[in-house]
Amino acid sequence: MEVAGRRPATFEAAASAEMAAQRPPRSRARDLLSRVLFVALLLGCSLVFLAPFAWLVSASLKLRSEVFNLEWIPDPVQWVNYVKVWQAAPLLAWLKNSLLVGAIGAVAVTLSSSLVAFGFAYFRFRGRDLLFGLVLATMMLPQAVTMIPVYLIWNELGFINTLVPLWAGNLFGSAFYVFLLRQFYLTLPRDLFNAARIDGANYFQMWLRVALPLTRTAMIVVFVFEFKALWTDLMKPLIYLFDNTLFTMPRGIKTLVDRFGQGGEMQWEIVLAATVILTIPLILIFFLGQRYFIEGISASGVKE
Amino acid sequence: MGGVGRATSIDAAGRRRGDGAPRGGGLRRAEARAAWLFIAPWVIGFVVFTAGPMIASLYLSFTEYDVLRPPKPVGLDNYAQLLQDPRLRVSLWNSFFYTALFVPLATLVALCLALLLDRVHRAAGFFRTVFYLPSLTPTVAVGALFLWILNPNVGLINRGLALVGIDGPAWTTDPTWIKPGLVLMSLWSLGGTVVIYYAALRGVPVTLYEAARIEGASAWQEFRHVTLPLISGAIFFTLIVNTIAALQIFDEVYTMYFGQMESGAASNAALFYVIYLFRQAFEFLHMGYASAMAWLLFVLIMLLTAIQLRLSRRWVYYEGR
Amino acid sequence: MTARHRTPKPQLPSRPAVPAAAPSRLRTVWRAVALALLAVALLPAAHGQQLEASGALRVLGFGLPDEIATERVALFEESYPDVDLQLTEGSIDQQQLLTAIASGNPPDVVYLNRADLSTYATRGAVQPLGQCLQDAGMDMGQFREAAVQEVTVDGEVYGVPDFYTVIVLVLNTAALEEAGVPVDEFSTSDWEQLAQWNQALTRNEDGLTRIGFDPKLPEFFPLWVRANGGQLLSDDGRTALLDSPEAVEALEFAAGLHEPAGGRAPFMAFRDTWDFFGAGNQMASDQLAAFPIEQWYVNVLSDVSPDAPIAVKAFTDRQGDPLTYATGSAWAIPTGAANPEAACAFVTTMSSPEAWERAGRARAQLRAEAGGTYTGTYTGNSVADEVIFGELVQPSGDAKFDDAVQVILSVQDAAFSIPANPAGAEFRQAWTDAVNRVLNGEQSAQEALDQAQQEAQAALDAAWEE
Repeated sequence: MEVAGRRPATFEAAASAEMAAQRPPRSRARDLLSRVLFVALLLGCSLVFLAPFAWLVSASLKLRSEVFNLEWIPDPVQWVNYVKVWQAAPLLAWLKNSLLVGAIGAVAVTLSSSLVAFGFAYFRFRGRDLLFGLVLATMMLPQAVTMIPVYLIWNELGFINTLVPLWAGNLFGSAFYVFLLRQFYLTLPRDLFNAARIDGANYFQMWLRVALPLTRTAMIVVFVFEFKALWTDLMKPLIYLFDNTLFTMPRGIKTLVDRFGQGGEMQWEIVLAATVILTIPLILIFFLGQRYFIEGISASGVKE
Repeated sequence: MGGVGRATSIDAAGRRRGDGAPRGGGLRRAEARAAWLFIAPWVIGFVVFTAGPMIASLYLSFTEYDVLRPPKPVGLDNYAQLLQDPRLRVSLWNSFFYTALFVPLATLVALCLALLLDRVHRAAGFFRTVFYLPSLTPTVAVGALFLWILNPNVGLINRGLALVGIDGPAWTTDPTWIKPGLVLMSLWSLGGTVVIYYAALRGVPVTLYEAARIEGASAWQEFRHVTLPLISGAIFFTLIVNTIAALQIFDEVYTMYFGQMESGAASNAALFYVIYLFRQAFEFLHMGYASAMAWLLFVLIMLLTAIQLRLSRRWVYYEGR
Repeated sequence: MTARHRTPKPQLPSRPAVPAAAPSRLRTVWRAVALALLAVALLPAAHGQQLEASGALRVLGFGLPDEIATERVALFEESYPDVDLQLTEGSIDQQQLLTAIASGNPPDVVYLNRADLSTYATRGAVQPLGQCLQDAGMDMGQFREAAVQEVTVDGEVYGVPDFYTVIVLVLNTAALEEAGVPVDEFSTSDWEQLAQWNQALTRNEDGLTRIGFDPKLPEFFPLWVRANGGQLLSDDGRTALLDSPEAVEALEFAAGLHEPAGGRAPFMAFRDTWDFFGAGNQMASDQLAAFPIEQWYVNVLSDVSPDAPIAVKAFTDRQGDPLTYATGSAWAIPTGAANPEAACAFVTTMSSPEAWERAGRARAQLRAEAGGTYTGTYTGNSVADEVIFGELVQPSGDAKFDDAVQVILSVQDAAFSIPANPAGAEFRQAWTDAVNRVLNGEQSAQEALDQAQQEAQAALDAAWEE
């Protein structure tokens, strides 16, 4: 949905609250009252949204028998739970694996998707739109359809129980990111590329030297998004890995839930501590790269 | 998504060209070759990891295959079984019920939150972050966390309800309440949708509100005739994305109710489609049947998306078409 | 139908069912005699022969949580110093197991649930061990019959049993006395009587505060069916018998035991609040009067609540004979393993009497140093059990736990298991779902089991066909 000419073409503006104009007030007093009311409502909702986090952190610091008591503040504060979980499972290995898969996979998909997106955005050729339609159609394909044969492929190639299947698919671009990056490339003025062509650049250099730097924000968005997706993926490690030390964090947590959870030894404080450890890096990354996250999401939904 | 197939070519002056058909000549051929080179990674990936496996899984759906022994062709048996399998019907029902409950609720709640955000301008950034944070929590963690938040006796939800005098239901053990409980869990993670709606709201031109105000429109009329149409594109997008995702829910539910230890109440009420598919494939070793299930899901998703696309012509507002 | 009362194997001296009241001296004498006879009869077979083994050996699925594990591994490493043992720590789930076995490069040894073994054995994913056992001089006769049945398919052995967990009754004697139920007479043989006792023992005035008898459904459904003289699966593993009248009756009865608590939902909601593994567990807190449970729970109780008023008895069938359901693990060698010789050496060493004895000694010593006692390890290997319970386990001084050990030992050979079949998970799912449907009030027992019978038989037919 291109609302041509009505909205700024860049995404910073669309996403950032500060730049949007204020609506004309109906009456000052009423406006103030409604503002206060709205803030109060939002505060209430925020509490609801944050409560599970608070409970999570609080419960992860409790004694086993007290995990489910009604206190918000643990007494005594069991920092040792975090030590216990470190000893109970190869958390370091899991974190390392998640980091490895996340970083390599995110870089791979960013580069490959931007190549493909550039192909669709810049060039004109027969069948381009049909092919792009196909790219979009693949977004509708349930993972379940290809899951088993892809598993068999990796089995044939001997990559079962390695981290390779978890990131190697990203070498070939991903429809969602191709779509997203294409949107960004479409906003670049053609003149820039013409100028580069005059300077003797070939297509690849045009991509490398003109397109990439100008869409740095978008690339970071893609990287951050994919990192999050890889960091939290359960299905792939579930079917490809059987060596405990190769697990990624989500797969590891699943093992902990099985072992220490309902059907196991009921040491929930360990599971919860691992959950906190799993979630914190993402929240940190989010705070650092907030702008990119928000832009990425806004961009995907607002512009088609 | 009516506008997608007709992408405009890059032209900063805003002129729209046709569908990018080539105009002939040697330059065009060189351009086409270069284009294909750029697109090559996706094409290779498509052939190897999408098209190939799709054909393979279609073939497998006509066999009985347990991975340990070679596939055995069984004709239409798997598909016949799809029609007769009571658990398949249960899992379809579970997935659709959950989706039908979750998607409209999520849209509504996210819209309300986004509207609230829209009204408080400066503080919006902070609140937006708060709403988005939960969606960063890995699905496994959400599952493990909510197993306890939904616990009838000690969970936060029932304790909260008790504060207002309501005796909360048994979210994790009562089959009637398991799916609503999961909807609540998923609502916690709708931050992404809120952000999209908020961005869309921010994009509604102020001039339109001014014009409406001049004509004496009430707040509700403003909402219905200015706001809604102009964010309908975003709503439509999230409707489709959330529906497709909801139909395939797996991680959280698998962590909570399946795996090593299974809960009796949940084994029926929480048997979602992809969970059942996974079980057939990897626990019962019926890869052929699982493939048939996967194809059925694909067809259903396409049908559903097509229906939503059709209906969208009536209510989604496209500027300038 | 097979005889329900299992006659012991010829090599073992017939062990009388030692009642808790037998004079202790008589017991000691019996034990000494038994030990001597066993040593003479089985020593050559139990001792085992050294094999040629070297190279890398990959083992998957075995955790090293305690000295019982580490000592046995140590014995292997000392006996076979040329083998480079690569043990991936931690237990694995179904998912991992299938992935490992199905991959082109499976581990040399897998450690898995005995009940799952036949699924892989019948599909050719693990190797028959006949030759290996012969080379190593290991006689399957030393293992408990129920365990051997679970690892044998069509007369071929595919796994070596490891551990043997049986089900016993644990009673809350204080609750029983309070309700006027005689502890000595309490048994699961008379079902009408049991239902009455359940009613008397359930405390449900202002809400449920004590469950009388927890039948542990759906997990223990096979036990109830067996107690009623039926079985879930024919001995050849090909015909499901889920809709037999005995099974239907058993399900109706066991499901009915939830009534005094107000039905399954309040029953389960209450059960979920128990501090099962903690000092405030349901026995210590008077929240449960009696239930069948795996024998390791007795150890938990002696650990966390040694003063709780409990008594342990054997579960009995409707004829009054002791009956139990045995589960455990097994060692298996996947087809296509790179180092089958070393694998053979490993599996035959780990479950040998020497390994168990060494592990038991280490644990006994550790316990003594910590001021506690060693309550024994149920290995599934009767020769090893003899040594452990004959020599290493001393009376702890607490009669209820010492008697418990005797009861558990007495039922070791009264166990049954589900016959080997290739549709393990699916078969289990069929009857589990049926039981759950009945408990949730969705179907009657007959309807649910009829449906389960159809599903199970279809699964079995499809799986056996290949």
